Amino acid sequence: MGFSPRQAPVFLAAIFAPSILLVGLFIVYPVVNSVGLAFTDASPLSSGRSFVGFENFVYLLEDGEFWEVLWNTVFIVGAATIIATAGGYGLATLLISGIRGAAIFRAAIFQVWVVPWIVIAILWGWLFSQDYGLVNYLLMQVGLIEAPVKWMFDQNASQWAIISGYAWRAIPFIMVICLAALQGIPSELVESAAIDGASFLQRQRYVILPLMQNIILVAALLQAVRFFQEMTMIFVLTQGGPVNATMVLSLYTYKTAFEDWDFGLASAIGTIWLILLMAFALFYVRVALRRNLA
Amino acid sequence: MNTEVLRTGSKPLPRQRSAVVYKLSRLATSFSMHALVVASLAILLLPIVWMVSTSFKPLADVFSYPPQFIPRNPTVEAYTTQFTGLLGRYFLNSVIVGLLSAVLATGAGALAAYGLSRYRLPGRNAILMFFMASLAFPIPLLMISMYLMFVQLGLLNSYIGLVIGHTVITLPVCVWLLKNFFDQLPVEVEEAAFVDGASRAYTLFRIVLPMARPALGASAIFVFVTSWNELLFGLTFVSSTSMRPLPAGISMSFLTEFEGAWSEMMALSVMVSLPIFLLFTVFQRTFMSGVTAGAVKG
Repeated sequence: MGFSPRQAPVFLAAIFAPSILLVGLFIVYPVVNSVGLAFTDASPLSSGRSFVGFENFVYLLEDGEFWEVLWNTVFIVGAATIIATAGGYGLATLLISGIRGAAIFRAAIFQVWVVPWIVIAILWGWLFSQDYGLVNYLLMQVGLIEAPVKWMFDQNASQWAIISGYAWRAIPFIMVICLAALQGIPSELVESAAIDGASFLQRQRYVILPLMQNIILVAALLQAVRFFQEMTMIFVLTQGGPVNATMVLSLYTYKTAFEDWDFGLASAIGTIWLILLMAFALFYVRVALRRNLA
Repeated sequence: MNTEVLRTGSKPLPRQRSAVVYKLSRLATSFSMHALVVASLAILLLPIVWMVSTSFKPLADVFSYPPQFIPRNPTVEAYTTQFTGLLGRYFLNSVIVGLLSAVLATGAGALAAYGLSRYRLPGRNAILMFFMASLAFPIPLLMISMYLMFVQLGLLNSYIGLVIGHTVITLPVCVWLLKNFFDQLPVEVEEAAFVDGASRAYTLFRIVLPMARPALGASAIFVFVTSWNELLFGLTFVSSTSMRPLPAGISMSFLTEFEGAWSEMMALSVMVSLPIFLLFTVFQRTFMSGVTAGAVKG
């Protein structure tokens, strides 16, 4: 289907010109140029720059801090993605099970997705405030903790405070995608399984989940990619602390570039990030998605 | 659905007892389902309720123990003290940058998406894959070279630098969203227009794009919301306080001067959320009417 490009070369050139210009100048060129900078000691503070080979990469790979940041990123993004995916899918399953007022619940939950990140950052600072925070109050009421937790000053607690914010914000997105996909499952399939005596859990396990697997994986991947880029909460709440506990790759690259003004080293971090992402994407497409299609 | 299955089943049911037991167990399931939904809704909405509630409290009540969910002495004081020139300026900056980015990304995205949808271009799938992959590119990595470029072009500390930044990080999504929409539009309309002697540009701008209004709207909203959220470009590409958009402005001035005045911070949070909330509420209606109108006309 479609028209032949030969029919209208000028028209085609005209309609593609704006995006080619934008993408070429401000995505392709910067990526290529920054990867190049990773092999230099570039800094806006000094006028000259010299080629240093793999020095930046060697420094990073030998530096314990970099591995720490990498692990924190994987942990925070991974935990938040898993919680958001499980929560979003669970909610979608509940909402589609024929309860009354599902549309109202869906609309209400969707409001969470509308809250700007800067607002979540400030709000989480208040919710997780040590002395007057609602989270400490509720946890103590329920009896889960005995004394107020110093959320932003404890390494483990601060990670979970950030993870909870990420997961909270992403649940509606996963829920909406899962709802749409669940609505697409032919009801005969589920009903015939029910007639054959499959319990609710068996229907989930053997009928619905296999059909949903790919969509859940794609939604989770999209969300994880977004989490990788996101850093407003961490920037506002912890600046990566305490003791680098919430230092993630995006903030680490940003700080190296625009606080230490070490463009060479920052580019090297970004380049490793890019390589890891590509490897992960390849693995994801090859293994996770292909296996499910087969 | 289960009721029907049981009633039409071939085996005659031992009616009285099992019907009652069945109904009861169904009722119990239904009740627990509803309870579960209400509980998860309560947990999810608690932060928002707490934000709004705190914003209407006088500072003295903010730290009361046990916490008040409904303000006992409601006041709008926390809101009125926020109306400073600086906050107004941040809002204005965010609106200007958001609108310009929405127009630029949606416009450029629509043109490219139309070409990708309608013309048999070599490497069409590769182009789409590249767009999708570029979403994952590390933004700080892009920013390093963009910063050096903007220094040379003199675009630091201007709306243009921010608009370009926000446009390129949203353009891939716009192209994808709009291409999917164009794929669903029947190509016969355009073929008929060509037969009638309409030029390609005329057909695109006067026939196709008007039909795509709902998708263009969705794309523009997406860009605006992303721009409203974006912190990094606002921090880096802008150095004077008066040019900062909301997230960067708030984190650089309000949060550094903040001294435990949580009611004011929550009032600020409500005000920053409100435009996006309204946009989505209003947009849902326009979007739906746009889709149905298009369907009726088509």
